[in-house]
Amino acid sequence: MVTKVMQIILSPILALVVGVFFLGLARKITARIHWRYGPPVIQPVIDMIRLFYQKSVSHGFMFDLGIILSLAGSIVVVLFLPFGQICPLSSSGGLLVILYTMLIAPLGLALSGGQAANPNISIGISRKLILSLGYEVPLLFVLLTVMTHYKTISIVQVVNAQQSTGWSLISCPLCLSGLSYFLILPAILGVRPFDVSSAPQEISSGPMVEYGGKYLALATIEHAFALFIGIALFVNLFLGGAANIVSFFVKMLVVFVLGLFINAVFPRFRIEQAVKYLWKWPTLLAFLGLIITLAIRN
Amino acid sequence: MDRNQITKWFKAPAKMANKYSLHAIYFCTGCGIIEVPPVITSRWDAERFGVIPVATPRQANLFLITGYVSVKTLRAIIRTYEQMYEPKYTVGFGSCPVNGGMYWDSYNTIKHLDKYIPIDGWIAGCMPRPEAIFIAVTHLWTLIDKGMANGYIRYRENYKSYRRNQEMALGKLEWPPLYPIDSNFEEARRE
Repeated sequence: MVTKVMQIILSPILALVVGVFFLGLARKITARIHWRYGPPVIQPVIDMIRLFYQKSVSHGFMFDLGIILSLAGSIVVVLFLPFGQICPLSSSGGLLVILYTMLIAPLGLALSGGQAANPNISIGISRKLILSLGYEVPLLFVLLTVMTHYKTISIVQVVNAQQSTGWSLISCPLCLSGLSYFLILPAILGVRPFDVSSAPQEISSGPMVEYGGKYLALATIEHAFALFIGIALFVNLFLGGAANIVSFFVKMLVVFVLGLFINAVFPRFRIEQAVKYLWKWPTLLAFLGLIITLAIRN
Repeated sequence: MDRNQITKWFKAPAKMANKYSLHAIYFCTGCGIIEVPPVITSRWDAERFGVIPVATPRQANLFLITGYVSVKTLRAIIRTYEQMYEPKYTVGFGSCPVNGGMYWDSYNTIKHLDKYIPIDGWIAGCMPRPEAIFIAVTHLWTLIDKGMANGYIRYRENYKSYRRNQEMALGKLEWPPLYPIDSNFEEARRE
């Protein structure tokens, strides 16, 4: 009981530390790819300290509530994700719960932005929803394939099955799904080349346009959580989870740095190009994986 | 980061974080736009000092005004400045915001930007080199350390006179006062 409570408190903190570290590392590595020196790795922490000390103005009740809702949604998803041997809510839920609760975070941001009534926010949110329409289709195929292959909806059992049979990324039909998930990962995280919803140059960073002070700090924390969730789900489903925390984070780091190389050199898609891409190659691969898995199972 | 700065971080975290996280909003009025991209990209990488450009005044705490300020632009500058959250710092870039520069006798430009919004530092020159932005940033660090980068406090304390100057340049302002101004001044303004 005590260990369970400890895990419930500890795992969001751990996820936050890792997510913020990734944010800092992203800026450093991107700078190095651009042949710049780059900021220190703790730059996001400095920014957050500054933002929490800054004054800020609320735009209404929903503006406060929505950002807290999205943060709470992210923390709930983190509690359902096993990393290493830590999984506070392993007995309950599973992939279906994660699939539903992952929607709370962008929904909270949309509610919060709706109160601020800035036209840039409405454009950003509509782009975000169209983009999620784009990546939800291959994501559903991928998760269906994994659930069909392992005949379970529990993510812990998926991890345990991979401990005996090896990574699903290198097993035959699931490698297609894994590849598909990696291709849509930037869209799930909302980073370049899929940062249409928060494009600073086009729509003044979209839903973030009215956030400043502690609201922006909370939004940054939410982004760190989202980064952690997207990559941790990939590691759990396709890289076999891990026996301990350290190897789990090393795997996450490898996936993150690989994704960062794409992020650093590619320009931004337009929204219709993004949906066209998402519904073509990742969907095709995921659908092929699902068909083959079903054929093998029957 | 210097090792001897760690004690400073524990003593005054807000001051240190303000120093090393200057999110800048660039107001490139006419000239000066060409000096900014080399500063923020690979040539002179401002990000290593924590200076990055942001798209909206809500997220920014450094306001960089480059080039001459026409009367029409002044309206946008004041609105942008008032949307920023405190503490906020302002830097005028180039000769024209300082004293009019080569537009000293123009009918359509503002000669002294400091009359309309408070400025914490100036970069003189026509045009200054991009490195001058770094010199300005390091000077701003010193000012923040000494508590002398207090433009936003001056704006709050002397808002009445700033507002009067703004109304003299722009006519009637269509937005309400940022800070409360006392009633007899309001009456005088209405007359």
